[in-house]
Amino acid sequence: MNGSKENSFDMNEAISAWMKFTADVWGPMVSQMVNQTTDFWSEGTDKPGKGFRSDRSGTTKSQAAMSAALNNWQAMATALSSSESVDALLKGSGAMPEMLLKLGQTSYSGSLQLQQKIIERISRLGESTEAYKFEDIDENIFRMWTDIYENEFRQFLHVPQLGLLRAYQEKVSVAADKYALFQASLSEFLRLLAMPFHRSMQVMQEKLTEMAEQGTLPDDTKEYYTLWIKVLEGHFMTLFQNPEYVETLSRTINDLAEFVAARDAALEDIIGLLPVARKSEVDELSEDIYELKKRLRRLERKSQEQP
Amino acid sequence: MPHSKIPVDLILSKLAEDTEKAHTRAQKASDVLLGELKTELAQTPYEVVFQEDRVKLKHYLPRTEIKYNTPLLVTYALINRETMLDLQPGRSVVERFLNAGIDLYMIDWGYPSRKDRFMGFEDHIDGYINSVVDYIRATHKLEKINLMGICMGGTFSVIYSALYPEKIKNLITTVTPTNFDTDKGLLHVWMKSINVDRVVDTFGNLPADIMNLGFLLLNPARLMIDKYIGFMENMDNKTFVENFVRMEKWIFDSPDLPGEVFRTFIKDCYQGNKLLQNKMVVGGRQVNLKNLTMPVLNIYGKYDHLVPPEACDQLVNKVGSKDTEDICLNTGHIGIYVSSKYQEEFAPKIANWLKERDQIGPPPTAAKRRKTTARKPAAQAKPKAAASQPAARRKTARTAAKTGGKKTTARRTTAKTEKKTNK
Repeated sequence: MNGSKENSFDMNEAISAWMKFTADVWGPMVSQMVNQTTDFWSEGTDKPGKGFRSDRSGTTKSQAAMSAALNNWQAMATALSSSESVDALLKGSGAMPEMLLKLGQTSYSGSLQLQQKIIERISRLGESTEAYKFEDIDENIFRMWTDIYENEFRQFLHVPQLGLLRAYQEKVSVAADKYALFQASLSEFLRLLAMPFHRSMQVMQEKLTEMAEQGTLPDDTKEYYTLWIKVLEGHFMTLFQNPEYVETLSRTINDLAEFVAARDAALEDIIGLLPVARKSEVDELSEDIYELKKRLRRLERKSQEQP
Repeated sequence: MPHSKIPVDLILSKLAEDTEKAHTRAQKASDVLLGELKTELAQTPYEVVFQEDRVKLKHYLPRTEIKYNTPLLVTYALINRETMLDLQPGRSVVERFLNAGIDLYMIDWGYPSRKDRFMGFEDHIDGYINSVVDYIRATHKLEKINLMGICMGGTFSVIYSALYPEKIKNLITTVTPTNFDTDKGLLHVWMKSINVDRVVDTFGNLPADIMNLGFLLLNPARLMIDKYIGFMENMDNKTFVENFVRMEKWIFDSPDLPGEVFRTFIKDCYQGNKLLQNKMVVGGRQVNLKNLTMPVLNIYGKYDHLVPPEACDQLVNKVGSKDTEDICLNTGHIGIYVSSKYQEEFAPKIANWLKERDQIGPPPTAAKRRKTTARKPAAQAKPKAAASQPAARRKTARTAAKTGGKKTTARRTTAKTEKKTNK
């Protein structure tokens, strides 16, 4: 064991020697450079135009700072060249790859988990839809997207904000969140509105086939349009009574209102920087005037009723 | 050779014919659309005799001798504009009332702005309508006047008459929703699930564009497609284009609805159905329909998709009056007022009904309840000789709007005489 230790390269000694060498060589060199620079600044006092100084002590502030930094570096290098410090440094270096690995693993694992969750959710699209029922697929796509957003992405917009501007950032994040939810509801609502068109086309095809078989196809193109618009109207009327449509309509309006409220709250912060009144301030003022007018009207009425 | 079941030759021939027609129509249409079009609304002269905030009282200049002792105040809805009653000369309910000799007033609610968001039922009914009624009563030195309400304006009129029965001689409600516990109209279905607090708290007033979109969505096939196809097919017809554009102007000339009015209308009416149950409270006072002891005429449309008959036909059974009449016309929500056919039936019916109840003192006819469905057009009103006193009294205070009359001072506000204005 000892023999091998003697023959092997001693890392501690090598680093210690290198640190000492660095301090011994570069220390005096830098010190010399600083001295020369000091002379240069000092000369400026006797020879106008060649150099200059900024204070009466004959040294500039930057020069003093440089000297202090050099001294610190020399002290640090000397301290680090001790065998104890080199041991600690080497131990730290050994831990570095492990730390980097763990950091990478955590990030990668988090990303994988997120992707896995998304894949799991997307895989459910197939599970919850029936074959040849394309309506359900459409419907599920919108719902699944909303679901994925709410469970996976939405949290990022609700990460606690820190620092001086946290309140402003929080409002912007809330507005972004409400916008995403409104878009999801709107997409679903528009999908429902498009359904009567699809169905009407199907019904039209069936009717035309039937009429063609019976030889009763009209020759006036206007009649085709009239037939189509009647079928379309019928489908809309059926849709509008549907509880799912009513629920989606209500949710879309609600989400729009939520988004507008969140957007206004964020915008009011920006408007606060401008020399104009905020909407909420104008509302407060309007309410005060409204209440005053109401009180005045009541008093007026009372005074008229009294003899 | 067997005859083809699909008349391809005929279809193609018709298609070619249609294409040629469309080409010719497009050429003529450019002349019509680029030429001068008369699309103004509300042409009948009036003067603004009273104003409080944004709310104005229009008084229409008589076209003939006033033949009624009691003036008529028309209260339109806060949704859309009262100009619908005076679309164009020859197609105007206002014109017909004036021709019958009715002294006519109408409330113009104006365009509510954000500051009006706090204005609720109390402010509009116990405030504005009451001020207007008092002004007319004072001007004519009458205890009571006639009141006619349209749609939401009818609901306001019912509430007002229940709160102030001593000021209303006869009440006419047209396409007025009073029963909200029905699923017949889509609005009744949709409004039950809306989160009205969220909407009002966010928007303040209900934006007109959202309302209009909602109305279009009641029947998109007809209102967003078929209507404009019809326009394309007739755009070489100047009269058709003028009428069409005039209606478009009216439909999309929509003020925002004050937020608190919307909140109460949805919560107390559509969701709570409080009016018919005598549970509604306005300005701290309970609205009791039994207080409606004056004669009541209730008119509605059989094919009304906004306010279906089920929303209107229970009113007369709930009021305290024994002199009531229910009329269901074979038309829709707007058709009652803008269709020439139904104007011929609707306006003279009201004129006659009012004439029968126009004398000072108790009504001549015995107490009665009548219900009429899908009536044929009634005969034109033939009122008796005019009562000269009200007409003479009015002459002292009125000047023609178009010639710029003098100002008339009204309570709390200065009445402004102005030309017909829309905004």
